Amino acid sequence: MEGWDPNTKSTLTQIPLLSIKAGPRDGAAWTQRLKEEYKGLIAYTSMNKSNDNDWFRISAANPEGTRWTGKCWYVHNLLKYEFDLQFDIPVTYPSTAPEIELPQLDGKTHKMYRGGKICLTVHFKPLWAKNCPRFGIAHALCLGLAPWLAAEVPILVDSGMIKHKDDVATSIL
Amino acid sequence: MDEELLELQRQFEFAQQAKSSIRLSDRNVVELVQKLQELQIIDFDLLHTISGKEYITPEQLRLEMVAEIKKLGRVSVIDLADTIGVDLYHVEKQAQHIVSNDSSLMLINGEVISDSYWDTVAEEINERLQECSQIALAELAAQLQVGSELIVTVLEPRLGTLVKGRLEGGQLYTPAYVERVSAMVRGAARGITVPMNLSALWSSLQLLLQEMDGATGVAVEGSFFQSLFNGLVKEGEILGYLRAGVNWTPTVFATAQKESIDSFFSQNSFISYDVLHKLGIPQPIQYLQSRYPEGIPLVTIFVHPSMIEMLDGAAEDAIEGGSWIDSLSVLPASFGSQDAFKILSLCRSVQVALKSNEALILGESFVFSNGFVKDLYDRLENEMETFRLPGFSTTGLCDDLHTAKEIKVGKDSSSSLTESSETGNEGGNNKQAYEKVSKRKKGKSSGNAKSGAAEISPDNQESVPSKSRKNQRKGKDTSLLQVSDSKPGAKKELDKMKEDNLSIPSEEWLIQKIMMLVPDFEEQGIIDLELILRPLANHFRPMLLNSRKERKKVAFTENAQRMKHLLDNLQRKLDESFLNMQLFEKALDLFEDDQSTSVILHRHLLRTTATAMLDTLLLNLGYLQCRTSTTSCKMELKLKNLKIQNLFHLVLEKELLLLKVFQDLLSIKAVAVVEALEAKRVETFITALRVIAEESGLTLKKLDKKLERTLLHSYRKDLTSQVSAETDPVSLLPKVVSLLYIQVYSKALQAPGRAISVAVSRLKEKLDDSAYRILMDYHSATVTLLSLISAATDDEQDCTSDRTTSKRELLESLMPALKGLVLSTSQS
Repeated sequence: MEGWDPNTKSTLTQIPLLSIKAGPRDGAAWTQRLKEEYKGLIAYTSMNKSNDNDWFRISAANPEGTRWTGKCWYVHNLLKYEFDLQFDIPVTYPSTAPEIELPQLDGKTHKMYRGGKICLTVHFKPLWAKNCPRFGIAHALCLGLAPWLAAEVPILVDSGMIKHKDDVATSIL
Repeated sequence: MDEELLELQRQFEFAQQAKSSIRLSDRNVVELVQKLQELQIIDFDLLHTISGKEYITPEQLRLEMVAEIKKLGRVSVIDLADTIGVDLYHVEKQAQHIVSNDSSLMLINGEVISDSYWDTVAEEINERLQECSQIALAELAAQLQVGSELIVTVLEPRLGTLVKGRLEGGQLYTPAYVERVSAMVRGAARGITVPMNLSALWSSLQLLLQEMDGATGVAVEGSFFQSLFNGLVKEGEILGYLRAGVNWTPTVFATAQKESIDSFFSQNSFISYDVLHKLGIPQPIQYLQSRYPEGIPLVTIFVHPSMIEMLDGAAEDAIEGGSWIDSLSVLPASFGSQDAFKILSLCRSVQVALKSNEALILGESFVFSNGFVKDLYDRLENEMETFRLPGFSTTGLCDDLHTAKEIKVGKDSSSSLTESSETGNEGGNNKQAYEKVSKRKKGKSSGNAKSGAAEISPDNQESVPSKSRKNQRKGKDTSLLQVSDSKPGAKKELDKMKEDNLSIPSEEWLIQKIMMLVPDFEEQGIIDLELILRPLANHFRPMLLNSRKERKKVAFTENAQRMKHLLDNLQRKLDESFLNMQLFEKALDLFEDDQSTSVILHRHLLRTTATAMLDTLLLNLGYLQCRTSTTSCKMELKLKNLKIQNLFHLVLEKELLLLKVFQDLLSIKAVAVVEALEAKRVETFITALRVIAEESGLTLKKLDKKLERTLLHSYRKDLTSQVSAETDPVSLLPKVVSLLYIQVYSKALQAPGRAISVAVSRLKEKLDDSAYRILMDYHSATVTLLSLISAATDDEQDCTSDRTTSKRELLESLMPALKGLVLSTSQS
């Protein structure tokens, strides 16, 4: 579990683990899996709220629950930077982790694949594989997106690649 | 779609919609609180917990503490601080506040304790007490971990209510237990019949209790017994009285004591204090005096006046009868001599007799009538005289001289005489004192010590009466032993003491004498004769001593006269012979020119007249020396012997022996004289003689003309008569020659035979031829006669004897002519 800061690790351990190994093609099993995903997400969200660390909003974009959209944000220098968030559940889920996309930041940083998919650390994949099928969407957000935001947003802000929306507004004016 | 899934979706939605809680950091909060205080929105003390994470108001703290105390009943302030998590300082402050506001609480030794706690404790104690019947407070205190004083203050108000028992001397007892112990005390106290120290009784009772209770029994304090005992005495359950708080004398004992004393005293009319001591009365005199005011307290015994009357009668009999009495023999056996003395002094008859000098109390218990004592003294004195006189007369002079000298030396000698009578008794006791004195005097006296020591021994032998000699010897020996290791100075002192002692009759001797004179003492069967005889002897001794001193004084004056006489005699003799010698010496001047004759004449003179004179002088001086000085009397004896043997011609050794008699200075001079005697010159002898004479206080008269003439005249007369009476032809010649010298030269010549011829030849010019021839013829005839006599042997050769006789006859025939020669001239 090395490679993550202690806060992340402690949070991760508190997210309930999932048990059903089913992908979007597995029908009823997927539904069961989806239920577990929700429970994990609820626990994670309430945990974040109680720690005054709420940083995303997501919801299923289709009834099958294979596409998810929402927003995520990061506070840097008392300014809140908010980005759109979207990802699909891969067909081989849960063996394959979902690829989280931040389309607004596409082309603004090296740590991103084409289409706005964030680059994860080398540690992520082995850990995910090891914990399949116990890790779900909540874990992916916690382990993948949260550290990426914490690492990349300050750099992007400082390099001027992204600007606060207030600043953007003033610049437009 | 699955209902559940929808539900979960809604829930998730809701969870995301929910407002997230806002978190402030600790630092922010502290700053906020500070800000509030600055703004005075919080206007009271705000305390914080030890962890530093909580603020607490004093009211809250107090509430929490009260709750805690209520819960536990007894809680330490430190524990409170721990449990509440507030600094001890605040807790203590609040604890004081709480306790002062609530009377049912107390703060003791950092603990807050409520009354209800004590109540429960008291109940517990009561339960235990009822089980064990007694509990030590110390035990309780240890158990509860509080001071025993606190326990007492807490328990006292609860005694009898919550705790059913009695608190006594640090112990809690149940009434039943108290009752039991009280019964034990009562029993023990009633059982005592003799005075007893109560603490001893309590300790035995404690032992008993411990046995009853077994090993677990708590030791009962003596004070508990004591308080029970005091209660019993007060109630009159036990009889007696308590002294000094601990000494209990039961009434039954006091009664018995009183009765036994009463019965003894009424039966014997005396009682010894020892008896009372045995009966346990510490101050018998006070006790007896208060009980029998008519009685008389003596030293060890208390007597009824009737006893005195009895003794009075006996003593009166003895005094009137001119006898003596031992009051101890009249009194009961338990009387001591001191008692006897005291009771005697109370007897009326004895008092009267003592006042009128009719009786004498000696040795504390013996009463002697004056008549008896006088009689005995007279007899003793006679006894002393009888055996003392012989020894006294022979050595009296010497002895007395000695004493006389002592008296001269200083007053202390006389005082030492009287002292010695006392010191003699104690002898050994005084030894140390003497040694001390002697050490001080050592420096001074050591010079005389030797002579002192030498001087003593003859005194001892001579003056000590033969009977007591044994004792004296013994005494001397022991004293010598005592002295042996002490310094010579001490010896001197001791000797002196002894000497003083010796000059008076010893105690032992007196005792023997008294026993001899008054056999009564033995017949009476007095066990310890010493007891009576010693004081009696001591009584007589000073008296005898005085009488002896008187006699000594008389003897001394006699002796002084005798001495004077002796000296006068000596002086006279000395004068006579010295004058003679001077006379003869004059004649020697005639022969000064003839050396050899002069020597012979000098020697002759020295051999004859001078030697005789010196003998007399030295002998007499020797006598005097013996008397006056400290020299031994052995010498004196020797001198006497010399005199008896009539050794006028002393050889040198004897004279030297004699000289030892003299003291140093004198002896040197005497030796000089004797040596001068050996020399050939008369002049040297005379000078030496003058020196010694001066030394010994004698005078040598010088020959003056007038004296010479009278002397010469008398000498001539003497010679003339001798010549006329002389029958021996040989001895006639020197006398005639001397006479002729007087007639011719008016000088007295003493010539030895050898010098006669020279003397005769000197006369040649002065005499007529006829007379001279007669003289010469006679002289030659005498010489031949003498040579014949000296040549004669015992062979009885007739020829020589015949010739001798014929010569003698010839001489005899010549004698008238010679006599006529002298006598005629003398008459002319």
